[in-house]
Amino acid sequence: MANPTLEMVHGMLYGKGLRFGHPSGLARVIAAMTGDHADVIPFFGPQIHDHAMTVARVPARLYYWNAELLVDTHLAVDRWYSFDSDTIIADAYNFEVEALGGKMIYSDNAMPTVDVSHPLITEASDLDKIGPFDPSKGRIPMAVEVGQLFLKKAPGPFAGGFFCSHWSLLCQAMGYPKAVRALKRDKGFATALFDWTNDRVLYPYMQVFAKAGVKNANGADAWACFPDLTPELIEEWVVPYALKLRQQCKKELGMTVAAGTAAGDYCEEDPAKFDKAIMFKSWEAATKTMPLNVAFSGMGRTQDWDMTWLREFALQKGKGGHQLPIMASLNGRFMRDSTPDQIVAKIAEWIDLLGRDGRMLVFIGNVPADTPPVNIHTAVKAVRTLGKYPIAADLASIKIAPPAFQPFDEWLKGQPEADIIFKAREWKPENKKVFA
Amino acid sequence: MSEKYAEISKAVVEGEDVQAAKLVEDALAEGLPPLDILNQGVVAGINKTGELWTANQYFLPDVILSADAFKAAMVPLEPRLKASQGDQLVRKFVIGVVQGDMHDLGKSLVCAMLASAGFEVIDLGIDVPKEKFIEAVKQYKPAILGLGAYMSTTMLEMKDVIAELKKQGLRDGLKVMVGGVPTSQEFADEVGADAWGKDAMLAMQKALELVGGKNG
Repeated sequence: MANPTLEMVHGMLYGKGLRFGHPSGLARVIAAMTGDHADVIPFFGPQIHDHAMTVARVPARLYYWNAELLVDTHLAVDRWYSFDSDTIIADAYNFEVEALGGKMIYSDNAMPTVDVSHPLITEASDLDKIGPFDPSKGRIPMAVEVGQLFLKKAPGPFAGGFFCSHWSLLCQAMGYPKAVRALKRDKGFATALFDWTNDRVLYPYMQVFAKAGVKNANGADAWACFPDLTPELIEEWVVPYALKLRQQCKKELGMTVAAGTAAGDYCEEDPAKFDKAIMFKSWEAATKTMPLNVAFSGMGRTQDWDMTWLREFALQKGKGGHQLPIMASLNGRFMRDSTPDQIVAKIAEWIDLLGRDGRMLVFIGNVPADTPPVNIHTAVKAVRTLGKYPIAADLASIKIAPPAFQPFDEWLKGQPEADIIFKAREWKPENKKVFA
Repeated sequence: MSEKYAEISKAVVEGEDVQAAKLVEDALAEGLPPLDILNQGVVAGINKTGELWTANQYFLPDVILSADAFKAAMVPLEPRLKASQGDQLVRKFVIGVVQGDMHDLGKSLVCAMLASAGFEVIDLGIDVPKEKFIEAVKQYKPAILGLGAYMSTTMLEMKDVIAELKKQGLRDGLKVMVGGVPTSQEFADEVGADAWGKDAMLAMQKALELVGGKNG
């Protein structure tokens, strides 16, 4: 098995200019984040759970309940695409509310989801009625097992557990409109809500992770993106509670907890409304909660952005004459709807603009279920080819031939995950206890 | 008189739901025409919110509060409007979130905007099975059917609904719109929808275009 510590040291040295050996995926990521660059721009493993399920053709009602199947499917699909790292999370926004007794919608083809039309919280007194967070309820044991398996099977600095961070958890527990109303109209109630989330749900949850040996957890908070919340509201509410949980867990549990991930992600949908000042304020808030020290473009309509703004922000926030590393994220819908040629052209444009001096990583802001695999393979091949250092002077002149890849099922045969994935396809709800 | 409409409009813009409803009740009690209260007060307010949204001066939290105030203002107004409309043609818009999904927020905003544009909105809710959409199309004979989803897995249900409409001979004369976070114009084209609503404001504009301009 690879040794992540050695890989990280290799990446750090390589990034500082001591270029020897062949860097692993992890080493490439570390080189780009701590130095300037490795041999090639890294492709950071994206959030991919429902796409991985679709590619592997495993049933949703098993996949979202069985930690080993979920982890193995991620690892297999990530390896099929040759990403440089793994991001293993399930439907991160639902576990806490489900365990607290929230009404859920379960489906044969999709992830479980909270039914916000039957909210868990409608008024302040509900906070006492809900009762304590019980880690044996719902799929919390599965989430903890996912963290353990991730650490065991793909160890490294990005392995660990996942959870739903404060603001998104409140949106799931009471519905976004009611949660917004509390923020804007009733600060006392809003404070009680955030305190409840932190002290009575998330901190006890982190204790369970810590006890299980999962000392690293990442809390998603996409409901705190812009324009769902303004940068001012993010700074007022999301950042302080994310930092509170982070410090509390560091001090009391010896745990690294990144709450508020994706808060401040600039997700304006209308290109005509892109606003540089708001974008910078959003990123400013985002850097305070991001687990990685990067300038991040996430789920937004990045294919339409002026990416010089991201570069300008990264230069402003950098230290010692270096820009902050840039995580340039291809929009999920762009990846699904574009032709391979359009994807190659976009990657060439970004590398030309952002990657020449290093400190650049490529990512996808959540891969939609039905994204054609050829699009992902094309993106990876384009980054590997065009992102090779030193970056070629004229990227437009480099032609990327269609990627050659085996169909997933053919490739899977003989892989360590083959057995569990093929067996999962035979599973029928009536074969054993129906999960939902 | 115009001062009263301006007050209603302001309450809607500022998301003051209780005040908006009270002002509408007062206006009705004073004998002001329901249609004028609607157009010069309530709709003027939600339209102003749309303008502020477009100008990057209002963000989703502001729009949510404004939509709440709009809905509150419509509660006392709707029965009076229906009574005064009589047999006048009002186009119907059936809307719902597909099975397995609960994309309620966007749908709520779309419903508010459609109502402001004069559509009679029949909201089937969330997690709506294909059969229920078909049944609603048969029952209400809407001008437009709107399908929403927020997951890239559940949005594929839209294809099935549209295919079933065709199979049952219900597609001709019916416009279909799709919307929700993972959807796109390309997806709308792929599934054979007539329009894609990128956000609530644009969904309303597209709906009006589909029925040939001003509604009602």
